Amino acid sequence: MIRLQNISFDHCIKCTVCTVYCPVARATHHFPGPKQSGPDTERLRIKSPELLDESLKYCTNCKRCEIACPSNVKIADIIQSSKWRYFKKSLRPRDFFLAHTDLMGSVATRASLLVNFFIKLPPVKLFLDLFFRIPSERRFPKYARGSFLAWYKKHRAEQEAFAERAVYFPGCYVNYNNHELGKDVVTVLNAMNIGVIVSYEKCCGVPLIANGYIDRARKNALLNINSLAASAAESGARIISASSSCSFALKHEYRNLLELDNSAIFDSLDYITRFIHERFLKGNLPELKPVRLRAAYHSPCHLERMGGVMNTIEVLKKIPGLDLTILHSECCGIAGTYGFKKEYYRVSQKVGAELFKRIERADPQIVITDCETCKWQIEMSTPYRVEHPVTVLARSIDGGKL
Amino acid sequence: MRYDCVIIGGGLSGLTCGIRLAETGASVAVISTGMSALHFSSGSIDLFGYNGEGRTVYRPFEFLDEFVGSNPRHPYALCGARQVREALFYFRGQLDLEGIELYNNDESNHFHVTTLGTLKPTFFSQRSVFNEKIRLAFEKKSMIAALNFEGYRDFYPELAVINLRRNVLFRNIEIITGKIVYPDYGDPQRNPFEYRSVDIARIFDTERYLEELAVQIRNAASGAAFAAMPAFLGISNFKRHHKLLQELTGLLIYEIPTLPPSILGMRIDNALKSRFASLGGVYIAGDTVTGGSISGERLESVVTENGGGSALSAGSFVLATGSFFSGGLVSEFSRVREPVLDLKVYSDAERSRWYAPEFFPRRGHPFLEYGVETDERLNPKTGDGRRVKNLYCTGALLPYYNPIKEGSGGGVAVSTGYRAAELILEGNS
Repeated sequence: MIRLQNISFDHCIKCTVCTVYCPVARATHHFPGPKQSGPDTERLRIKSPELLDESLKYCTNCKRCEIACPSNVKIADIIQSSKWRYFKKSLRPRDFFLAHTDLMGSVATRASLLVNFFIKLPPVKLFLDLFFRIPSERRFPKYARGSFLAWYKKHRAEQEAFAERAVYFPGCYVNYNNHELGKDVVTVLNAMNIGVIVSYEKCCGVPLIANGYIDRARKNALLNINSLAASAAESGARIISASSSCSFALKHEYRNLLELDNSAIFDSLDYITRFIHERFLKGNLPELKPVRLRAAYHSPCHLERMGGVMNTIEVLKKIPGLDLTILHSECCGIAGTYGFKKEYYRVSQKVGAELFKRIERADPQIVITDCETCKWQIEMSTPYRVEHPVTVLARSIDGGKL
Repeated sequence: MRYDCVIIGGGLSGLTCGIRLAETGASVAVISTGMSALHFSSGSIDLFGYNGEGRTVYRPFEFLDEFVGSNPRHPYALCGARQVREALFYFRGQLDLEGIELYNNDESNHFHVTTLGTLKPTFFSQRSVFNEKIRLAFEKKSMIAALNFEGYRDFYPELAVINLRRNVLFRNIEIITGKIVYPDYGDPQRNPFEYRSVDIARIFDTERYLEELAVQIRNAASGAAFAAMPAFLGISNFKRHHKLLQELTGLLIYEIPTLPPSILGMRIDNALKSRFASLGGVYIAGDTVTGGSISGERLESVVTENGGGSALSAGSFVLATGSFFSGGLVSEFSRVREPVLDLKVYSDAERSRWYAPEFFPRRGHPFLEYGVETDERLNPKTGDGRRVKNLYCTGALLPYYNPIKEGSGGGVAVSTGYRAAELILEGNS
């Protein structure tokens, strides 16, 4: 049965502009491009799932096709939903581990030293490569000790004392890998006289969606919608996230791809730099100390799709001393868990090659980007360190070393 | 967010306007839903190709001098013939800064060849479509080889040649056809349906096969002076490839604009965006303006789909959202509507009069002449008749001209975009 909201493929006029701007189609001829994998073959798949073409698995869900489309076709959504509508569920242990970031995180953070040590050992890498098909070249993000939530619990009372508060969804990366970024969010918002209420129920679902665990993603999404809505209702606060992909999922993937009703949180959701920038414009600008660095800013695909890039740029422009180069918008290639799969690793690196070249040409002291997986990809593939815009802003506030 | 100017629509007209404004130091944002109609264009800029009787116009500026007097509502008349000229040469200068040279045949139009082998009068073309050497070789009636890449499905040289031979200009000119095999053809063969212009242009951009291709082109052209090929010579390095291929083959390499995506059009799109960005302009892609708030005679702010309720305010606004194809105009069963602000539209209430019964009517389809009605300052009126003084309408959104019948689309887009910028700058000073 065709549901009415899912026939946007009928608006496709076959102009092929999406394929022009598809980073994967540019990198490999094995991917026929978003037009063919999306609207063209969707009508065939509706007729008979046997007409499914495996090649659509190459899609990274970066959404650049949707930005390019003059006819407003939700091309990436069509491809993404076909992945789980028509393919058999993956039974690969690797995909299970990559998809369940919160489960892995809660185990790994209990023995982070051990995990971080082992995952770097060449025999372990070889083992992962041979038996799990995780490429040995791929570097893993380090796990932190304990969780960000545990840290936050100790500071909750002081945060609740602020008259204005914002609900913060930290996501798996901050909770299990990078507590410092979460603390930086607190530093920045506190300097603007805003308290931080952390609300974190489950992984936003991005890796689950990418690996076909749709039922799990829906369950997580419902839990998140309910808990975020409850936290926001209590204080009438905005809901913010400092991960561009978590933000994108909470706002758009829940609604368009998982077909859930997220209207209880939709209007209050902000990616963090929009939230900060709007307050800057209203005059709530904390005192900023110079950060004398040459920096290159890379805009992640999902932030491009959400239309939030200009906010990050405007916030960064406020930081005195920061010598900022805005890199031409290019996909870094990692696409979340995509670049962790051996079958896609080469494509992933080829997609990113153009960005890496541009970074080297800019020759910065640091690279700034809003997305954690872009950070992993750039740090692995170039000699440069990557920081989140909020971290840079936090150092400008507390005068700490970057 | 507040800007000096917000431009709704990121095509030829919006970007020309944006560049002119940003050049003066103004803060300008362009918001664009999807990629612009340049991706569907020939990559040449038409000024005025056909008169009211459908005959070719040879000297468009001379023609315009008289035309604007008797057609006061035409967008060219709103700009004035002098400013149309100023706009077009300003545009050429801006593209020049981005490494795209546009050639014109002095005061005259020249023709570019289409995929079907018909000729279209136009004013500016890229070097691979028109230049002095091409003109001289053509006048000498030199032999032409129309070549295609094996597997490319959007160009059939045999068909193009049949049409060219019918044309009086090509009488006594020998035209042959031939094909070139891409050295790397094995790879894209997996998806032959996607073997489109952009795939080939990208292979050109790698420069790996230029020498090998040059040998093939020379052999296939067997003695011709021109090698006419679909426009694939690359997106980023086309100038260098064109020069190299001409040197290696000793031939004039001529590019024929292809079906979308048009490489010739994309080059202009890239150049305009790059110029706009280098002047500090903000280009917001993939977002749609959904409405705005008008108070008195001013548009105060607009909201977008992705904006999450936060408005973009500006001193002035430009609406360059295009015609029906780009969504600047929407047709309902019995009315034509402007979807962003519901501005007053010139159209016909009777649907049966919107179009002519033939597909290519000599007089053109009336719907192509519909659009947002403006005064001489390009200011529109709201549905209830209030003038909006800080909003300027430009490009294909405008009524009272027919880009297809006249061959004037590019020129109108450029000159009204430029005109809006000049009006905004005048107002500020």
